[in-house]
Amino acid sequence: MYLSDSKHPAIGNPEAIAAGTKLFMGSCAGCHGPDGGGGARGPNLVRRSLWHPLSDENIFAVIRNGVADMPATKLPDDQTWNLVAFIHSLTGPASTNPVPGDAAAGKAIYWGAKAGCSNCHSIRGQGGSMGPDLSNIGGSRPLAVIRESVVEPAKDLYYLGNEAATVELKNGQTLEGVAKNRSNYSLQLVDTKGALHLIQMRDVKKLTVSDTTPMPTDFAKRFSRTELRDLLAYLAKQDIRGKESAQ
Amino acid sequence: MIRPVLFALLLTGAAVAQVNHEEIAKGAGENWLTYAGTYAGWRYSPLQQINAANVRNVVPKWVYHVPGARGLQSSPIVYQGVLYVTAPNSIYAVDGRTGRLIWRYADPRAKANGANRGAAIWQDKVYFTTTDNYLVALNRHTGALIFNKQYADVAKGTTSTSAPVIAKGKVIVGSSGGDGGMRGFLMALSADTGEELWKTYTIPAKGEKGSETWGDLIDWGGGATWLSGTYDPALNTLYWTTGNPWPDYNGSVRPGDNLYSCSLLALDLDTGKMKWYFQFTPHDTHDWDAQSWPVLLDTEIAGKPRKAVLHANRNGFFYALDRVTGEFLRATPLIDKVTWAKGIDAKGRPIELPNIEPSAEGRWICPSVKGATNWMGQSYNPGTGLLYVLTLEQCGMYFRSSQQPQPMKNFSGGGATEEGGQVILRALNPKTGLRVWEYPMTGLGRMWTGTVSTAGGVIFSGDDDGNLLALDAKNGKHLWHFNVGEMLTASPVVYSIDGKQYVAIASASAVFSFGLFEPAESITSPVIEIKKK
Repeated sequence: MYLSDSKHPAIGNPEAIAAGTKLFMGSCAGCHGPDGGGGARGPNLVRRSLWHPLSDENIFAVIRNGVADMPATKLPDDQTWNLVAFIHSLTGPASTNPVPGDAAAGKAIYWGAKAGCSNCHSIRGQGGSMGPDLSNIGGSRPLAVIRESVVEPAKDLYYLGNEAATVELKNGQTLEGVAKNRSNYSLQLVDTKGALHLIQMRDVKKLTVSDTTPMPTDFAKRFSRTELRDLLAYLAKQDIRGKESAQ
Repeated sequence: MIRPVLFALLLTGAAVAQVNHEEIAKGAGENWLTYAGTYAGWRYSPLQQINAANVRNVVPKWVYHVPGARGLQSSPIVYQGVLYVTAPNSIYAVDGRTGRLIWRYADPRAKANGANRGAAIWQDKVYFTTTDNYLVALNRHTGALIFNKQYADVAKGTTSTSAPVIAKGKVIVGSSGGDGGMRGFLMALSADTGEELWKTYTIPAKGEKGSETWGDLIDWGGGATWLSGTYDPALNTLYWTTGNPWPDYNGSVRPGDNLYSCSLLALDLDTGKMKWYFQFTPHDTHDWDAQSWPVLLDTEIAGKPRKAVLHANRNGFFYALDRVTGEFLRATPLIDKVTWAKGIDAKGRPIELPNIEPSAEGRWICPSVKGATNWMGQSYNPGTGLLYVLTLEQCGMYFRSSQQPQPMKNFSGGGATEEGGQVILRALNPKTGLRVWEYPMTGLGRMWTGTVSTAGGVIFSGDDDGNLLALDAKNGKHLWHFNVGEMLTASPVVYSIDGKQYVAIASASAVFSFGLFEPAESITSPVIEIKKK
């Protein structure tokens, strides 16, 4: 999870982010990559452990003081904050950053039949139970991660804990759904009706799981660039601390 | 592979089991559906697979380490084998047989700090509150958010710590923050939408009845409702206790009884209207919240059958009232050393001794600021007819500050210290208010573990040293203990799945579940087929 309590005016300010982008491309991209995705010498800034909290103040301190092999900088405060604003825009929750696109148009796409998102995903109680809940997707993930989950859902390990599974029990019953967990000894499965089952592997005759995400992998082809941008703009607004709701 | 289209078709499928009023009202059994197990506040389980004769064979079955947790205070809710355990601003659904995490929901951006004491369940949703007063409703199967709605403003000094209690579709939430200046209240929110149904303040507004018992600080008078209360479905009445008046230790700035602080309130579930109140400690200056919850019991008191409400108070006395009328019936000493009052008079008012208010130099008073008991859960066992209460024999110094009171600045008007102490689990007879037996526990009284008792004739509780222990409910004899290796700061619960009884408790950083020993069984893997997309 990210911490996004910073009150500094540079955070989320498009001008500060643009100024920070220039600084980043000049001084940071060499090691961290132009999109913050990491390079030979610097770590990936975007795809960090999602549960590791990183506050804007911490980012500021790392830029100012350096860390491990990364040197300290002599940038003045305002320029350092511009850089923090850019890094926040890359790595901070999408809902705390300016995001291009028309969220209202994206809402229509999300709930429409062509995308079919709500067949499997819920936002604030509306939609299916098979996929991860998206009520807080913008409040917990950077835009780049959301984009990748939509366009290349099988690329990351994001779907682990959401394996499509069919369980044949020794008592003859067959359950179909998503395995939230599975080990050699037990399995927790949400079935296609949305009901949770606690299963012991000793009771299972046969388990069939898919080697990839149950999510369609053709959204990049199914949608135009504009449609995708709008869909992402809508997802970016989904924040349990925000006003946006499914209704 | 399973196509999303298929999922869509099945969304409107057969109804899944839902938690309804009757199920909660019948009390604990396989499930544990409300904070105190029963609406009456008994923390009692009718399960008896684990009993006084075989509890010595109890062993740990699993441990779930709650990520980053310190000082968990959560009493789990259990439904169909799933435990719902809260930490501040997060909730975890854990498989009750294996301890495996099923889902978690976290809201790390919540403003305000504080503990969380548990969740609630209704129909297909699990509920808890964030520190900054959001009611959060989640799909119990998946943890998906159904709604979250803020019902009170942190900027007015209110935070949330207690487990909601749900009765007939109304989610009853309390208010915390009474040591820093705030105006306490109890609220009912719709379980379907989170909308406010009613709000009853525990401190009157200026000009209202009762406001004459305050000075100018009435707007910040405290009277927080920071522990879950109890409910009588037949009388449709909620019984909720209130916390200390503010500022805690400086009574000179709030002349009068300070209604309705340190009181028990009886409220109509449908309207929130106050049916009656009873104040245990008028004009409290020792932070003796009346917090321990009211236990509802039909019993004979002074030879007369009564619908009674029992309450073990921080101020050192054990009370019995008529829960229909609020009539004071009796008060007996809960602990041995009480130095602030000679006793309780016929109307229920303490007969105070002189020189008990905190002073600049400090005043030595018993009980200590922690109180003769506190929020740890007591248990009533209908099999033995006894009420089990954790008590603390401890005294301390109380100081008063001459500073001007400043609301919401963490200002309590003074301070208190504690010295020594001894935790004693006491079995009380509700009919007489007298002790039947007692069991001195290990420790000086960090004491925040509660109790649960069962039809198997066993009481489970915990001590300062991190032991979960089992006592014989009849006579307090030690039967079993297990050291969890860290502080216990919550109350145990009892549940059953697949015909096996478990006892679970949250320790400082983990959830432990215990059951009867069974030899391990070799598990052969089933056939696992990996399908290529």
